Amino acid sequence: MEWYEVLVQQTINGLTRGAVFALVALGYTMVYGIIELINFAHGDVFMLGLFFSLTFFTLLGMTQTLYGWQLVTVLPLVFLATMLTTGLVNVAIDRAAYRPLRRAPRLAPLITAIGVSFIIENLALLWQGPSPVPYPDIFPSVDVLYEWLGWNTKIFLTTKDLFVVGVSIPLLVSLQYFITRTTWGKAMRATAQDRETALGMGIDVEKTILLTFFVGGALAGAAGLVQGIYYNIGTYYIGYQAGLRAFTAAVLGGIGNMPGAALGGLVIGFLSAWSDQYISARWTNAIVFSILILVLVFRPHGLLGERTPEKI
Amino acid sequence: MTTGLGRRRYLSAGLLVTALLAYPFVDRAVHAQTIHAVTDAMIYVLLALGLNIVVGYAGLLDLGYAAFFAIGAYAMGLLNSPLLGSPLHGHAWSFWVVIWIAAVVSAIFGLIIGTPTIRVRGDYLAIITLAFGEIIPVAIRNLGDVTIDVGGWRPIERLNLTGGENGVNPVGQPYLPGVPFETDPIPWYFLILVIGGASLWAMNRMRDSRLGRAWMAIREDETAADCTGVDPIKTKLLAFALGASFSAFAGSVYAAKLQAITPGAFEFQVSIMLLCMVVLGGMGSLKGVILGGMLITLFDRLLLAQMTFLVRWIGRSVGIAVLTTVDLTLWRWFFFGLGLVVVMLFKPEGLAVRRVRPRLVEVDEEEEALALTAAAPVPRGEEIPGWLRGPAASRGTPGGGRPVLEARAATKSFGGLVAMSQVDLVIPEGGIIGLIGPNGAGKTTFFNVATGLLRPDSGEILFDGQSIVGLRPNAVVARGIARTFQSIRLFQNMTVLDNILVGEHCRLHATVAGVVLRPPRVVAEEARARARARDLLAFVGLAGKEGELAKNLAYGDQRRLEIARALATEPKLLLLDEPTAGMNPRETEVLTEFIGLLRRELGVSVLLIEHHMEVVMGISDRITVLDYGVRIAEGTPVEVQKNPKVIEAYLGKGYEAELAS
Repeated sequence: MEWYEVLVQQTINGLTRGAVFALVALGYTMVYGIIELINFAHGDVFMLGLFFSLTFFTLLGMTQTLYGWQLVTVLPLVFLATMLTTGLVNVAIDRAAYRPLRRAPRLAPLITAIGVSFIIENLALLWQGPSPVPYPDIFPSVDVLYEWLGWNTKIFLTTKDLFVVGVSIPLLVSLQYFITRTTWGKAMRATAQDRETALGMGIDVEKTILLTFFVGGALAGAAGLVQGIYYNIGTYYIGYQAGLRAFTAAVLGGIGNMPGAALGGLVIGFLSAWSDQYISARWTNAIVFSILILVLVFRPHGLLGERTPEKI
Repeated sequence: MTTGLGRRRYLSAGLLVTALLAYPFVDRAVHAQTIHAVTDAMIYVLLALGLNIVVGYAGLLDLGYAAFFAIGAYAMGLLNSPLLGSPLHGHAWSFWVVIWIAAVVSAIFGLIIGTPTIRVRGDYLAIITLAFGEIIPVAIRNLGDVTIDVGGWRPIERLNLTGGENGVNPVGQPYLPGVPFETDPIPWYFLILVIGGASLWAMNRMRDSRLGRAWMAIREDETAADCTGVDPIKTKLLAFALGASFSAFAGSVYAAKLQAITPGAFEFQVSIMLLCMVVLGGMGSLKGVILGGMLITLFDRLLLAQMTFLVRWIGRSVGIAVLTTVDLTLWRWFFFGLGLVVVMLFKPEGLAVRRVRPRLVEVDEEEEALALTAAAPVPRGEEIPGWLRGPAASRGTPGGGRPVLEARAATKSFGGLVAMSQVDLVIPEGGIIGLIGPNGAGKTTFFNVATGLLRPDSGEILFDGQSIVGLRPNAVVARGIARTFQSIRLFQNMTVLDNILVGEHCRLHATVAGVVLRPPRVVAEEARARARARDLLAFVGLAGKEGELAKNLAYGDQRRLEIARALATEPKLLLLDEPTAGMNPRETEVLTEFIGLLRRELGVSVLLIEHHMEVVMGISDRITVLDYGVRIAEGTPVEVQKNPKVIEAYLGKGYEAELAS
């Protein structure tokens, strides 16, 4: 491969990775924005998304690559079912472990979040076992550049890559629409800025928080499904690493800021893909986190985060 | 009564020491074989105590503390192992030397990791610590085999710096004549007991000192602490460095006891577990952290194993096949998670912290009513603490006319909004100057510029003839400017006395070594500081409330405490931002009297933002009026009242009639 082909290839890889990070990062950033909690269990909801979707496909008897009508019926159906389930799981987590602690010291819900994360991971271990679980090759994989466009290049861009991007972008755009254009979105933004005042304006704050957890969980579920379809494998502990990366993405973009989370996800995706290629995969984590530190030192509120002057 | 209580304390302390000394021998006598688990638990407790300095005292969430544990352990491992040909290995006393080197190395890393605190605050800082926590194990893994390949040229090939994935093995053991560290677990128990005990003793002394109070002030309100003379950067870096050095002691013992270290022992989970120990027991409480650390490690090491036996036994006796083969230790993380959730839901403040009930509303109302009828007595001149007078003598005669603060064309804008434009203002020594104007006129901005919270875009601020532009707020306080805030900003969860002591911070000199070793000089200084604080509290009418938490004071008391805290910094100039806001007429009158007294008796100059016209007109020598960031008038109260611009912008047309009536 020529150097530019390598670069393009790794950029494509980075894009697909980043898209998944972005979807997970949004859930972190939304929850943080509204109740200032680093929801450590969020990565595990993403992992549950992968396994729930696997279960749904298995229940529907779909363990082979889907074709034609299946793609437009089964796949959206499983998407909806997965997102609904993980959304509800996330709401349940909030109800059980965070809501009773709304007025507790700040670190208390953080600790329960860590606890919930351990619980979910171990339940998944019990459910799916310790070894990697194969995920059926649901989505047809076609080499787009060669087979469809007839280009003679070593760059490998498949329909799966397009699928990842094709799922993520509409989700990101509709989330942005939901947040900025709808009444519920406005309620979420108001609650995020000032819970007391939002309450005073007649906003049902608890319902808004519930909705936030639902939407965040649904996005993580979608990301889990995409991850399964793209990589064809899943393990009970993937939530930990993915969660860490996604959270890093959320902070990088400016925590609480939705476009920031998406941007952060993409940046982390690109960085990790390039680092894998040009430096060494074993240094990638160190590189990603070093860049995070540098960004925060020079932009203490993330790439897109706004500096809110303290009122004195 | 005190002696009885004291005796009981001695008795329980004696019992505790006896139990700690006897434990390993009892353990051996009954063949319980718990000593390894207990020793390891104590190592983790020491780590958690170090983390408590950062999280519990200074309020800096640290999600990567295991990095320091790793640094300490590897410093010991690499310097005291034959693996990499360390020159220190093989010497009998090397452990005792290396443990201090490890502490220094860790402290240096603590400073490095702490440097972003200069710019980054809050949870973003937590993420930086998390990032370091991730980077360190990766670096340790990969530095075991470093090859730099630049187009075929290899300046470094397969260099081993850390032992890589295999870790360091063996690590040298400590040596004491006649003590069998090689064969017996008991010396290890006593080793960590001594190190842990000494650390605890040091931490206890740090907490009750100038340094501990500075940490807590930063935790409670960084901006207010800065404006009370505490240097936030120095204070936070010290927390990181000291917290790190304690973890190096734990890491050193860990490495030497295990005689081998691998990078896997310092992953993110360890940081999280340590954080759980701190929060579970009760942040900031040494007892709580010890309890949390012991509970978590012993639960892991002992309880689960014992429970497995129990469950299997139940399974066998009742005849349930599944139970007989259960291994609960495989479920450790599940139970750990469950335990965290349950404990936090029932005791969010932590296990060892007694829940402080918020005071009943009726009590507050009653106090308000009392305050209305009998407001605090007017402080009297003769009650002024002598030490406050001391420096006043050197301030020259009040009203001498020499300017203490002089602003020349000070300008500050936020984006397109000019909050303050070309403002001139002179405060003569011993003078009281009023600063008035409608809301948003730039009055508080002037305060923030004068105290160093904001840097003026242009113009000059001179204090005692020297420019203070660019100084940090704590440096401005040290020069002699103190302030209060429009919305009261006390250190809510500190006692009334401690609030005052934080005010004295910049006049005290104890160093880290000083607060731990407590030489007579430091003891005397601390005693004097406390005596002064009590005098000051008595003077402002808060005697008897020294031990209460600031947040539990009534509103008027909070206002007075804030002024007292500002006075504790021994200021030449006091900036009061709406001191009578929210006060009833009687309280307002008392406070007005009080401000006058301060000037008369102490020669303190005062700059006063105030909306109560009776107060500001009655007490000020001269008044400056701001409107939309511009000075529209300056003069004596009478001149200002008649100024048509002022009436137009602020006082309103009927004002004069109102005053007359």
